[in-house]
Amino acid sequence: MVHALQEVQRLLKSDGRLIDIQPLIEAPLLKVYQGNSVVFVESDPSYDYEEDLRQADAALTKAIQRSLFVIEERSEFDFLTHGSSAQELLAFWGKTSTVDDISEDPAEQRIKEVYARVEEIRQAAGQGAEVALHERARILRLNPKVRNEEPI
Amino acid sequence: MTVRVDPENNETRALLDLVDFTGKRVLEIGCGDGRLTWQYADRAKHVTAIDPKAEAIRQAKENLSDELKNRLEIHQFTFEDFSAISKPSSFDTVIFSWSF
Repeated sequence: MVHALQEVQRLLKSDGRLIDIQPLIEAPLLKVYQGNSVVFVESDPSYDYEEDLRQADAALTKAIQRSLFVIEERSEFDFLTHGSSAQELLAFWGKTSTVDDISEDPAEQRIKEVYARVEEIRQAAGQGAEVALHERARILRLNPKVRNEEPI
Repeated sequence: MTVRVDPENNETRALLDLVDFTGKRVLEIGCGDGRLTWQYADRAKHVTAIDPKAEAIRQAKENLSDELKNRLEIHQFTFEDFSAISKPSSFDTVIFSWSF
């Protein structure tokens, strides 16, 4: 990953900028909405990329320590994916093999059970209720301020 | 209703708050189906969008509008392979888009 950032620096013009958009290291939330009201919240059981995010953050920190980049701006935003049903969201993100499959994988079973429960709550919330996956993300603007030709 | 990704446009707002794409040559790494690409490409001089996933690239090409065809290239590439064949100092802006 540090090598990738070094390559990005090589491809950028000296006055160019890197924009890095990543989710924060926290589990996304499954929410049931009725209108603008949130009627149910649960952590997304399919969240399994925390270690990947930590490694990406560590690589970025290392690249900054080695003066490949300097952070100029940082902000955060809410990123929501809305679906008319929990199963629709699950299928969209491809988080299990197939929604109706009977899997022997306990992790996959748990995902399906939680999504099924969320769907029950959505249906009980009445007509027009929908489900959303709510992620918190950050965006960075980085300046390749110092050219570093030394191999990493 | 189909699935709606960021209908609030929070990501686009955050991006456009940080970058003025006017006249810029842009590389987007991890473009997926082009969801974010369409939000800024009309402002840029030229966009190269890459993603290693064949299905995502197929969808991105399918969704590419005629207006953007002359300023947007979409390729199935890993970043490693793309950078190996790319010249230095080619881009004003590089976007790492959810490609951790």
